[in-house]
Amino acid sequence: MNRLRLLVFTFFFATVGFAQEKNEVEKRIKKSEVHEGAVDWLKDAYENKRKTKWYFQTDGDEEVYEAKLKHKKHLHSVEFNLEGEVQNVEVLIKEKEIDKEVHQNIINHLKNNYNKYSFSKIQKKYTGKEDDLEDMIDENEFEDITINYEIEYYGKSDSDDELWEGIFDENGIFLNKRVVKIKATDNLDY
Amino acid sequence: MKYFFFIAFAFSTIIAEAQNNRFIFGFFPEASLSYKISEDYSITHKIESQHGMFDSNRLNDELEYEHSLTDLQSFLGRRLSPFVKVDIGYQYRLEEGENTHRSIQQVSILQRESYFRIGHRIRIDQTFFKEEPLLFRARYRLKGQIPLQGQELDPGENYLAISNELIYMIQSSEDDLENRLTGAYGFYFDDKNKLEIGLDYRTDDYLVEDRFRHRLWFKFGYYKSL
Repeated sequence: MNRLRLLVFTFFFATVGFAQEKNEVEKRIKKSEVHEGAVDWLKDAYENKRKTKWYFQTDGDEEVYEAKLKHKKHLHSVEFNLEGEVQNVEVLIKEKEIDKEVHQNIINHLKNNYNKYSFSKIQKKYTGKEDDLEDMIDENEFEDITINYEIEYYGKSDSDDELWEGIFDENGIFLNKRVVKIKATDNLDY
Repeated sequence: MKYFFFIAFAFSTIIAEAQNNRFIFGFFPEASLSYKISEDYSITHKIESQHGMFDSNRLNDELEYEHSLTDLQSFLGRRLSPFVKVDIGYQYRLEEGENTHRSIQQVSILQRESYFRIGHRIRIDQTFFKEEPLLFRARYRLKGQIPLQGQELDPGENYLAISNELIYMIQSSEDDLENRLTGAYGFYFDDKNKLEIGLDYRTDDYLVEDRFRHRLWFKFGYYKSL
């Protein structure tokens, strides 16, 4: 009996140990753990927004800080590198908030490639230099800012049936996509 | 850890109310193993077992170990889309008195939200007995999975799993309702290995007079996929 128990435990911990190969991590951190430069930039751009949640993120290679906060009724995610320099700002928007022509181009792409599709999450991504991004937030100026749309959508074609993350440029022209891996549902199904 | 105490506290208040009726407490280990057999089809085997430790109906021996039952289940599942899966299953139950066979059909739907996800499960099952008539049950379960570190569940992180299931059952002309509320602390080792430890509070005999029953199970379940 004892030997059996030992075997079960060994098997259990061996699998768990093997499974600990971490690569993607996103965890909540305190403001005090973030580079001062990032905190200062956020304070200047958003003018003392109080409810900011800070995260540390890595995909195995790149490590970044991310600040999430509400601004003008939209959820903003601001990405900084470890030196505290702002990289980009992502704003969660609704489908109806996409400009008409841009929206039409995105829809055209989806219609041409899928029999069935639906949006699940739309983010407008602004990339640019620190000062330009700051002007964009506090002065509403969009000089030297690159705009992309990061759209998570379900798309079914004759060959594929997946959840995708597609990148579209500021005019709604398709750039690239990847499959969004959905986590196992065994604990929800059985 | 504080979440675990929260769950325990929430359940203890329910239990305090339950003293007048029949109350059972015990352990409920379960484990499941899932693997794909093709792009769309998968197989899942599950074993679960109830071990009673306390039964208020046993007057002088309330505290006594009793193997209540063990279920062996196998499912064949087909994924219809990334969010919808259908399964047919078979269960063999080992129980004192009579071992039973059960056929199961279910549809599970995944609802993804930005910070958590919800699994909807609609299931019907039929239990076959030697002497008694067929028992038919229809059930609906809602289970939420909420990450506790950040907004995404990453390997090595933990989560909270809360579920409620309502079961309607009918055997010849007698029918009844059962409710199952669970709260668990989950360990997400990675996408192929999960452990959930928590409490499963079951109440039944709602429609049977003077026989309301409460069962509280200390549950630990391991979910493994290949």
